[in-house]
Amino acid sequence: VSGWVLRRALQAVVTFLVALAILFVLMRAAPGDPLLRLGGDRPISPREIAVLRARYGLDQPVGTQLRSFVGGLIHGDLGVSIEYGRPVTALLAERLPATLLLGGSVLLLNFTVGLWLGVRQAVRRGRREDRWLTTLSLAGYAMPSFWLGLVLAWLVGIHWRLLPAAGMQDPLLSSDAGWATRAADVLGHLVLPVLTLSVVSIAATMRHQRSAMLEVLRLPYILTARAKGLPERAVTWRHAWRNALFPVITLFGLWLPILVSGSVFVEAVFAWPGLGSLAAGAVGSRDYPLLMGTSLLVAALVVASGFATDVAYGLLDPRVRLA
Amino acid sequence: VDLDEVSMTARTAVIAALTGLVTWQPAEGQSPGDARNSIVIVTGAQATLPIPTLMEGAAANLANMEIADQLFLRLAGLGPTLLTAGDRNFVPLLASSWTRRDSVTLVFDLNPRARWHDGVPVTARDVVFTMERARNRSITPRLADLLKHITGVTAEGERRVVFHFSHPYAEQLYDATFHVAPIPAHLLDTIPPEVLSRSAFAAQPVGNGPYRWVRAVPGQFIELRRNDDFFLGKPKIERVIVRAAADPDARMNLMLSGEADAMDNIPPPRDNIRRIAAEPSLRTIPVPSPTIGYLLFNQRDRRDRERPHPILSDVRVRRAIGLALDRRLLVRVIFGSYGEVPYGPASPILWIRHGAPVPARQNLPEARRLLAAAGWRDTDGDGTLDREGHPLALTMSLPNTSAIRKQMSVLIQEQLRGIGVRVDLQQYEFPVWNERRTAGDFDLDFVSLSQDPSPTGLTQSWTCNGGNNVARYCDPRVDSLIDQAMLSQGDPAQHWHTVLRQIEADAPAVFLYAPTYVYAVNRRFRNVSLNPVSSWLQLREWSVAPASSTPSR
Repeated sequence: VSGWVLRRALQAVVTFLVALAILFVLMRAAPGDPLLRLGGDRPISPREIAVLRARYGLDQPVGTQLRSFVGGLIHGDLGVSIEYGRPVTALLAERLPATLLLGGSVLLLNFTVGLWLGVRQAVRRGRREDRWLTTLSLAGYAMPSFWLGLVLAWLVGIHWRLLPAAGMQDPLLSSDAGWATRAADVLGHLVLPVLTLSVVSIAATMRHQRSAMLEVLRLPYILTARAKGLPERAVTWRHAWRNALFPVITLFGLWLPILVSGSVFVEAVFAWPGLGSLAAGAVGSRDYPLLMGTSLLVAALVVASGFATDVAYGLLDPRVRLA
Repeated sequence: VDLDEVSMTARTAVIAALTGLVTWQPAEGQSPGDARNSIVIVTGAQATLPIPTLMEGAAANLANMEIADQLFLRLAGLGPTLLTAGDRNFVPLLASSWTRRDSVTLVFDLNPRARWHDGVPVTARDVVFTMERARNRSITPRLADLLKHITGVTAEGERRVVFHFSHPYAEQLYDATFHVAPIPAHLLDTIPPEVLSRSAFAAQPVGNGPYRWVRAVPGQFIELRRNDDFFLGKPKIERVIVRAAADPDARMNLMLSGEADAMDNIPPPRDNIRRIAAEPSLRTIPVPSPTIGYLLFNQRDRRDRERPHPILSDVRVRRAIGLALDRRLLVRVIFGSYGEVPYGPASPILWIRHGAPVPARQNLPEARRLLAAAGWRDTDGDGTLDREGHPLALTMSLPNTSAIRKQMSVLIQEQLRGIGVRVDLQQYEFPVWNERRTAGDFDLDFVSLSQDPSPTGLTQSWTCNGGNNVARYCDPRVDSLIDQAMLSQGDPAQHWHTVLRQIEADAPAVFLYAPTYVYAVNRRFRNVSLNPVSSWLQLREWSVAPASSTPSR
């Protein structure tokens, strides 16, 4: 097993390095000079631009820049953001917790509620509850999250004033407030963005889990289990569900990076201070170091989640390791 | 696991969650008095380095400048007329008075009660130290350029500072006071300038203004607390929270949900102003903006910058395009009553616009006559004018981030089609648009510019060697007139009006709109005044109405 995991890990590292090189070159090839906007309405002179270009190493050939970047990366240095004038690693560290909290909450909700509802639908196939949940999940899947976010913010935040419409914490909360008060405050702010992102992802998980369960429930070994007189819950959860998890594991691997990078709009609508909004700002200003930092983080997550999915497959199904 | 049991548990959880939702209140931990005496301002960007002399490059933005204005006091402030010329229309701040020794020497006497937030008196040494850094081109290139006419700053004792200028001109006091506020020499003289932005001081700045720094929560907000010992009077609002939300919808939601008390420049569409005005706890306040929007004509061939533009180098064509546009209609459609057509490149905050001529109205017959005189006729009857086999077709470049420009460009395209000018719209991502315009790769460039309160900023775009003159417009008469206006003593308004008239005659651009910003402020605040140059500058004078002082949420 260890040899197989090692091979997969090596493949993951190579994939990451290839992604790094492609991202680096593509970013420099894209039009839009990050330094031209620095002067704002009072343009900076070509001499000043030359000084800044040298400061950020942008006057070097792309190959030299890439070598220098990789050298820094090995030492945990992703450079200094052009826009913020601060180390990229510090900026990422500031924003990562908010992203992990949001993405983690969505994943948690997705793979508890989504799986449970999917299984429930499968075991009640064709009944009214299944039909209702199918309709709801299709509606949820078809609902654009940017629209849903705006509607929820208006309805719950403005019209009913039940929950905060934006932000991650109440700025008027005293700095000496207790942790429970702070946690409750963050939780209140978390509800709407999580709900917005969860509706689509739960709907997708439900659909996948339902069809996977239906496939498994048709197999002869399930009939055998029932014939042996096992209780239905044991048949469902112990025998059928475990084998119906494979497609959902794949889905988990796909959702993880999407929730980190793909929540840009939801972060914007709810003024959530995560990596998505940081990355979007970096794209707009062509802040190469920051853009590279956020992109690499997402690339690392994609590679890591792919690796984790492979390992999970391997652990659940030994045949995969032989493939 | 029994599915029914799970189902029951889930139902209970959902009911509990819903109960939690409907009973949600702002978190405890904020005393009612504290919240009552606080203001939450929502803006589009968070300040990252609000320290004078450090606001260079990407840090030279409005977010930093507005926070810096609460922390650091200038020697003097612009008066209500925003007149930047002469010595009379300024209000004393750090300096209690100023006198003129001669036409090139200004003397400031500092207020002896002025203190830094750590209690140390503000002295002439602080001013000299600040100006030395600000005038050092290797440290602060932007500031050094703005202060290039100041030849020296010296201290005479603890409280007197003397500014020396290279030559007599109208905006000496403005240059000495507006561009940079003093920073504390006793805290900074041991920190090398190149590491100052990463120092403890940058993380926790010590100023001398009405509010002192408390904390910054990255990506969320900055908290300031009033300076109880402020020598010009203790501010009435105790706590200021400046909350960042880049998305306009998020800013609107924060205002409408009562989670913010004030917002600068209600974002488009215009319906947002109506939504704010319809909220009983909020009021809208129009404020003159520093913004001007115009359609810039490229004077040079976009493919060969050494050659004149094949169509737009002809002033008759440029004037015809200007006369073909119903600018008043364009402004009314986009801005409603919150905008006007400017005369020349003068935004609403520029004092030179007062008394300037009225902008020309749409005149289609004259536009057609000018085009015909330039040889443009519709010989093939396709609706587009042509000359020597070439159609009168132009491209208009604009950034896709500007909702106003995107909307207006379509209307312009339609209006110009009416006189036989074909315009192809090219929307670009902002950095790409910026790169193309800087390289002169455009025919018509749809620009929106933010101006300083001083008209000297016009040199950037409208003089032959202006740094922002990407269209290569060059009229030596305009250069000469601008020089005269800048050097004139007394009231130079007439000189500046002559400049504007000459620019209008040359038609290097069609000046389309000068918007009025509309701010939103909670009605519980009294004595509200907003500054067009730095929105919240007068915040220290605001107060909270006792009767309706509870926060709206």
